[in-house]
Amino acid sequence: MPLFSRKNVVQLLIILAIATAVLAQADLPVPRHYVEDHANVINASDEQALNGILQELEQKTGAQYIILTVQTTGGLPIEQFAIELAERWKLGQKGKDNGMLFVLAKADKKWRFEVGYGLEGFITDHYCDRIGRKVLTPYLQRGEYSKGIYEANLQIIKTIATEAGVTLTGMPEIKSVPVRDRRRSLPCCSILFLLIFIFLLFGGFGGRMMGWWFFLPFMFGGFGSPGGYGRSGSFGGGSFGGGFGGFGGGMGGGFGGGGASGGW
Amino acid sequence: MKNYGKAWVILIVVLITLLVVGLGIFRWYINGYNKAVNLEQNVEKTWSDIDAVLQRRADLVPNLVKTVEGYAEHEKGLFENIAKSREKYFQAGNRAEKIEASNELGGFLSRLLMLQERYPELKANENFLSLQAQLEGTENRISVARTRYNEAAKQLNSYYRQFFGSFFCKRAGVKPVEYFEATEQAQTEVPQVEF
Repeated sequence: MPLFSRKNVVQLLIILAIATAVLAQADLPVPRHYVEDHANVINASDEQALNGILQELEQKTGAQYIILTVQTTGGLPIEQFAIELAERWKLGQKGKDNGMLFVLAKADKKWRFEVGYGLEGFITDHYCDRIGRKVLTPYLQRGEYSKGIYEANLQIIKTIATEAGVTLTGMPEIKSVPVRDRRRSLPCCSILFLLIFIFLLFGGFGGRMMGWWFFLPFMFGGFGSPGGYGRSGSFGGGSFGGGFGGFGGGMGGGFGGGGASGGW
Repeated sequence: MKNYGKAWVILIVVLITLLVVGLGIFRWYINGYNKAVNLEQNVEKTWSDIDAVLQRRADLVPNLVKTVEGYAEHEKGLFENIAKSREKYFQAGNRAEKIEASNELGGFLSRLLMLQERYPELKANENFLSLQAQLEGTENRISVARTRYNEAAKQLNSYYRQFFGSFFCKRAGVKPVEYFEATEQAQTEVPQVEF
């Protein structure tokens, strides 16, 4: 019997088709924590901090934000991997579609931000791309996965919180990457406006001794020198000790493929 | 007298049976009909999502071309092709034409993005990078919307091919729809840019 008889080939094709169908599916159980570090690249303190912040984010804004690391996506494009998981987990609230999924595939050297419909308005593709390229990628290139994931996701978490008008107590102070490109001349303008404001104020008070130094903090503190995106201290360690509820499961949010991906 | 009562009982039983069967058939008919309508609605909804993202891509094109044009003056042919297939997309009358035109446009656009290998200064242009991120995001949305549309189309088409499905589809005036295939051509053509 010839090895490549039609029957054999057909059988082989069927087996292959089934095998790829089984393989080509992103299937991970619903996360039990906001940070699911399957690739084991996030250190304990960053993981705990992110879990705390993300839980607070969900409590205050309803947005469900999952950070996932895996070794590999199993040959799937990371875009497909991310959307399949986001859909299966139904991240975000139904109707508000405020789900968010960050995926890092360590061995594939790929990352992706998957953004729910409801967040697309201010977490734009371009914004995700910039956070990915400018904040995340440099750390990944140096092998500092934990720090990169921490810094990059904090940026987006902060933007979501700001948009919702809440402050997260667990959020360390970070220098935000602007959501949109700002014009370079902005600090100049602000200082000018401030000066005009001061003059108006002085005029209004008719030379009364309204201390000038009153404004000093605004003038110098307000426009800090542009620097890196590092976190500047003041991280209240131990403020969320133990006892997170963990992630309670998706609420039926929808995704349409918004976000950005890249590699390093 | 006894026989008379028996006849009544039989009549009532037959009537009730007829009523039950009739109601069953009625419900079966309504369900089958509604299923055809719902499947078509789903196809329409997923198609309108595709339409929205295709439109979004078409809107991005002029800016992108304008940005690249400044760097790559020798690629006139490509720019013309892009303009032509964009025009073709806007003039497409039916779904099949729209699918074909947008596949063509997609192929040319990925060639446009590949120009950054040839003109490295492009990579330093913040405007180009922004447009690239937006275009990639849109392409990804298109592929997500396409998968959903094809899934909906598959459900409708397979219902249409079922024995009673086609009956209900015809009653409801529902016709099978075409799939949105990303043509092999559009995908394989891309890497073969004549550098």
